Amino acid sequence: MDVLEKLEVLGAAAKYDVSCASSGSKREKHFGIGSTFSAGICHSWTDDGRCISLLKILFTNECIFDCAYCINRKSNDIKRATFTPQEVAELTINFYKRNYIEGLFLSSAIKNSPDWTMEMLYKTIWLLRYKYQFNGYIHVKAIPYASLDLIRKTGFLADRMSVNIELPSEKSLRLLCPNKTKESILKPMEFITKVAEEEKNFVSAGQSTQMIIGATDDSDYKIINLSQHLYKKFKLKRVYYSAYTPVNHDPRILKVESPPLLREHRLYQADWLIRVYNFSADELFNGKDENLDLEVDPKVMWALRNLDKFPIEINKASYEELIRVPGIGIKSARRIIKNRVFHSLDFEDLKKMGVVLKRAKYFITCNGKTFERFLIDLEPEKIKQKLTDKNSLQRPQQLSFFDREVFTSVITGEI
Amino acid sequence: MYKIFLYDGTFEGFMCAAFHIISEGIDKDRAIIVSKNEYQPMFIDSVREVQNDFKTFLEMRKGIIEKADSSVFKKIYYAFLSDTKDKEGYILRYLFFVFEHGKKIKYLYSDDIVNAVEKMAKNVSREIGKYMGLMRFCETDKGFLYAKFEPKNDIIKPIAYFFKNRLNEFYWAIHDVKRNKVAIYDRKKVQFLTCDNLKLKVTHQDEMFQMLWKNYFKAVAIEERKNLKLQQQNMPKRYWKYLLEKN
Repeated sequence: MDVLEKLEVLGAAAKYDVSCASSGSKREKHFGIGSTFSAGICHSWTDDGRCISLLKILFTNECIFDCAYCINRKSNDIKRATFTPQEVAELTINFYKRNYIEGLFLSSAIKNSPDWTMEMLYKTIWLLRYKYQFNGYIHVKAIPYASLDLIRKTGFLADRMSVNIELPSEKSLRLLCPNKTKESILKPMEFITKVAEEEKNFVSAGQSTQMIIGATDDSDYKIINLSQHLYKKFKLKRVYYSAYTPVNHDPRILKVESPPLLREHRLYQADWLIRVYNFSADELFNGKDENLDLEVDPKVMWALRNLDKFPIEINKASYEELIRVPGIGIKSARRIIKNRVFHSLDFEDLKKMGVVLKRAKYFITCNGKTFERFLIDLEPEKIKQKLTDKNSLQRPQQLSFFDREVFTSVITGEI
Repeated sequence: MYKIFLYDGTFEGFMCAAFHIISEGIDKDRAIIVSKNEYQPMFIDSVREVQNDFKTFLEMRKGIIEKADSSVFKKIYYAFLSDTKDKEGYILRYLFFVFEHGKKIKYLYSDDIVNAVEKMAKNVSREIGKYMGLMRFCETDKGFLYAKFEPKNDIIKPIAYFFKNRLNEFYWAIHDVKRNKVAIYDRKKVQFLTCDNLKLKVTHQDEMFQMLWKNYFKAVAIEERKNLKLQQQNMPKRYWKYLLEKN
């Protein structure tokens, strides 16, 4: 099989891996080809609208495991291919110097044994770093059950490492991945966290993970709660959520017609709230509903359940209070705080500063005044109706609203 | 009657013109800075040609950084690269503000001039950011990498300095086809030249990698999530002309 065909097979096989970030590396650079860029750079966007930053491929799609949701599982009759370390290194360098990519994202199915696979990943990255003196971004997977020694050696060459947690609960894992255990996933994760704390230049852009959404009956609360623990305990940089695309027909998997994209998006928003906005999972759900409201974003959902905390006075509220207002993000909150030093702010000022009032107006006052009279006395249900009504009025445009607001906010984190 | 200040079209030259206006206490509403190439003479104007003097430029830069900070200076530079009509007028008024308010200028969101300059700078910086990823180099028979683009704003300088750091081990040229400008890098320094036509041939090996990339690009899209609108939103059509995977 030639490289062209391998690249097609092993590129397609890696497309369900979500992460493509190339940001945050602090690895020291001395000489060689290329660089990393702290904000990350997108090099293209696929037909599904997702960014391509890294050459994302599997080393092999030949697998000894048989996970129910996975296209590459042993029992599937599909075309199989395996790269050599040399082939991956040359592809990476040649794509990089033409500015097609920011670096390499190397994952793999498990061929022969976990150690054999991990060894191949290590060899590939070693070639890139030492033979080709490649300085670009490298994200590599740690293979479950691989020896910690191999993972350690690999981590010193990579910018980011990740172990996929795959499913949000042990029960689901047992059901869909008979070959993987909770232990086999958490052990390498914990190990990477520990080494990263002790050593310099070890996965300097941090660790991430991803889980599949919608293939099992796990609730959003369970998912967000798990993420919260992963951020706290393992200091993960990101948890990625992947709406399950039905690739296998397996009775163990929940029936999915099409990937639950809106739910995936709401989870990303909730994830931002716990990671950046200091919300906790318990606070967000406060025992009421186990799942996020698909109609409004999670911050609106939370605010409507906690109307007693509003309205917030723009000219007095603390930064922490401001960022909890629906529609006010980190940037707007900072602008408000810096600007109100000069003079007290009214709604006109907010507009000029670029604060979007569409959602915020139901939750704030400026010098004691609300945006319109009687705005604040509304019942939560009425506010929700107003916020969602507008969308249904513009039915034909709903998709574009969905696209723009929904997907860019995943990237910028503004909610 | 307006006082017209002609400059050579460069950022340094513009700053020298602004320096004269500010230091001589000339009324900003009566002063106009115009590039020599664009000025159409009107006999009622008083016209003065300003020399591009690097020392004066450095003095202006120092003044801005001391009065505000280097991020404000960078904003001014980016705004100057914008293709906005009468960018000189906006930036001149912005400069007056800088010397009046100092750092505070960053938070004067309610002022129209400040807003306009912010917008110009943001537009430029966004385009630079996009081209950092969307520039496509090919390998030529002359042994160097070559990329062409047609940016809306005049961003070849910051782009070239970005790639100087990134592709530091290679010989390369970046060509702004719209403005006939080329940046050439010889593994030591970048030079900026003007040029009309470059006759180059792509190597056979490069054609192979182009094909590999195009195939890869197709292979990684998930059919069930197809969303061309979102793709175009992230990567507007004006970037497609020289984008391999979109041709």
